[in-house]
Amino acid sequence: MGFINDLRKDFYDVIDHQRVLILVGFDVDALAACKILLHLFQCDHVPYTVVPVSGREDLESAYQENSEGVKYVVMLNCGGNFDVIELLQPEDKVLFYICDSHRPIDVFNAYNAVQVKMLVEEREAGDDLPEYDQVFRDDESDEDDSGNESEGSEPSGKKRRFNPEALEKRRNRRLWEEKRTNILFEYEQYSKYGKSAALTMYQMAWKMSKDTNDLLWLAILGVTDQFINFKVDRDVYMSYIDELQHHVSRHNHRGDDVESTISVNCLRITYEEELQLTLYRHWSLFESLCHSPYLACKFRVWTMKGRKKLHEFLADMGLPLVQCQQKWTAMDVNFKDEISSMILDKMEKYGFDKQYVFLPSFHASYGYKNKVCATDVVLACSSVLESIDRDASMTDSFLSALDVLTRANVEAKEKCLGLAKMQTKAIVSQVQSFLDMNQIVSAGPFLYAFIQPGTLDVKFFSKAICLQRLAHYTLEAYASVCKSKKNRALPLVLGAPLDAELGTTIIIGIPPILDESRRSFFGKAFEQAGEMTNSRMLLDSFDSHIIQIKSEDKSKFFDALIGVLQ
Amino acid sequence: MFCEKALDLIRELQRSRGASLPPFNEDTLRHVLEEMKALYEQNQQDVNDAVQGEAGLFSGVQIRHAALERNKRCILAYLQNRLKTTRDMRWEFGSVLPADVKYNLSEAEIQWFNKYNKSLANYMRSLGEDGGLDLTQDMKPPKTLYIEVRCKVDHGEFETQEGSIVLLKKNSQHFLLRSECEHLIRQGILEHIVH
Repeated sequence: MGFINDLRKDFYDVIDHQRVLILVGFDVDALAACKILLHLFQCDHVPYTVVPVSGREDLESAYQENSEGVKYVVMLNCGGNFDVIELLQPEDKVLFYICDSHRPIDVFNAYNAVQVKMLVEEREAGDDLPEYDQVFRDDESDEDDSGNESEGSEPSGKKRRFNPEALEKRRNRRLWEEKRTNILFEYEQYSKYGKSAALTMYQMAWKMSKDTNDLLWLAILGVTDQFINFKVDRDVYMSYIDELQHHVSRHNHRGDDVESTISVNCLRITYEEELQLTLYRHWSLFESLCHSPYLACKFRVWTMKGRKKLHEFLADMGLPLVQCQQKWTAMDVNFKDEISSMILDKMEKYGFDKQYVFLPSFHASYGYKNKVCATDVVLACSSVLESIDRDASMTDSFLSALDVLTRANVEAKEKCLGLAKMQTKAIVSQVQSFLDMNQIVSAGPFLYAFIQPGTLDVKFFSKAICLQRLAHYTLEAYASVCKSKKNRALPLVLGAPLDAELGTTIIIGIPPILDESRRSFFGKAFEQAGEMTNSRMLLDSFDSHIIQIKSEDKSKFFDALIGVLQ
Repeated sequence: MFCEKALDLIRELQRSRGASLPPFNEDTLRHVLEEMKALYEQNQQDVNDAVQGEAGLFSGVQIRHAALERNKRCILAYLQNRLKTTRDMRWEFGSVLPADVKYNLSEAEIQWFNKYNKSLANYMRSLGEDGGLDLTQDMKPPKTLYIEVRCKVDHGEFETQEGSIVLLKKNSQHFLLRSECEHLIRQGILEHIVH
């Protein structure tokens, strides 16, 4: 089995100062993992090359271009859920180390003990992984048999056809193959996410005693990214937070006496029950309330009545409107300090669920004026990653996102927060127009909506992370508007125009609200629907629930999808 | 007033400190030299007169002599400082001076620079085992052997000392030996990432 439990011995020490090619997927978790790994490599003088990859095609070309003379390839948040050997056709001596949070792990990767090593703990991956014997057969003779079957003209084949032993063998094989398909289908049916890559990398650093507060902060960002981008459910997130909290207190504990206090310019990380209001530290409280998915949907702020109710809520808490409408930094300190407890008091009256309003998280501070919380940094970073600047290529935005994670880079961070706000505003106005125009339609087994080409902020939504946020927001808002409980159990499929010239559409499927486990069955469903209709589609993304399709094929694809899901 | 021109030279040096080299001030220098010549002739005459028995000239001679000495010191300081700056530039810019600097040098200074160049090159060639050692490369001890660089343009393949080939493509990021990529950084192909 290609699982590595002891990261240091079996991964880091093996590399031993040879040049490494690092391929990084496009998400904040991968970026954070990449930064941690680079730090370690820099400490130990391991030369490396970093190349960002946005999809399977990109991965293939990046590998072909950079593979010359490289013996070790590290893949961060990419490559785990498909057969890398088949896609990349590497030379025999090349070793792949894959640290990917995408699940399920492809069986070919999992059982390739020679060339592919998964940086995943076996017990984490192994739960539902099919047994080796169930998916692979070692006896080569069987292969020959099946190969000859079609070529009936061969005399030997003819003879054997009536041989009861061979018949029995073939029958066995057919049964086994059927079983194999079933098992594989069951295994690959749901796409979900495992442990954050950044956390894995941090643990490796920790085991090598090279962990610092900065690396810890990156690990926190990786875990936070998984949660706020709907990759892991709350329980899993909490278990990670627990683990991280040990590290945080280990790194940030100082005695009370004067001598051991650290300078303000050092990074300090503190645990905090964070209000789940989007970017409120960098916005005004009122704006933030209107743009936070859970609260905005609870109030239905897009309606007159909802607005009134929001005002009522603020008045009830005793917050003057003038105060909430100015920038958070300019707000009265007394209100700022008490806002959490004020909301906590009134929560029950307005029927909020505490776990959606408060999120156990961390914030980092250094110097006198820089205090950021993990969710804000993740939002800022992903908004840069998906920058809609026409001049900036994907790799440009990757590098600027990498810079945002450097903590000294305060100016860049401020700029990105502005971008994140723009993105959030675009999402909210799109949700509002969905609701106003009644564009969310129930197709029976699922809901669907399409963003019309030519809509104002359409370019934001051609990117995966932003589209996913929009989808979740839309579903939440739709559920809050609809009377019937049934809608909470329906998944949503959302489409957005990707490229007007090529006529392609990007489609994403997300699980229903009621399903807390956050695993999506759309990967397989999309694949099947596509096969049934021969739609021209591209399964390029590392996330299987995001696909690209030709706009003309959309309607027949959807008809098939309804069929598949029913 | 004695020595005023000489003092001007020194002031000019002081003013231009930190900026690039000012043009060689031949005019003022010639004025100073003329002044010195006049002073010397006058002194000569007074000494001759004194030898013939005229009294009360010595204090004048002494003052003039002091002025002469001062002029000499000022001129030497001026020249010496310019040479020093030129020499520093050799270490900073390499063996070919930028055109605007070269324009500001006098003929003699250019000659000196070329000679300095030659002896430095000879010395560097004699160092080390084979091919000499470029002393100008690491003026300060480098903090790390390897540095993190980001590629600014599509440059193509680049072979490292170990023989492995790195593809320098726009926006790729690499961790390479400092000595190998220093010239690429100077050419603007790579960018050094500083944290």
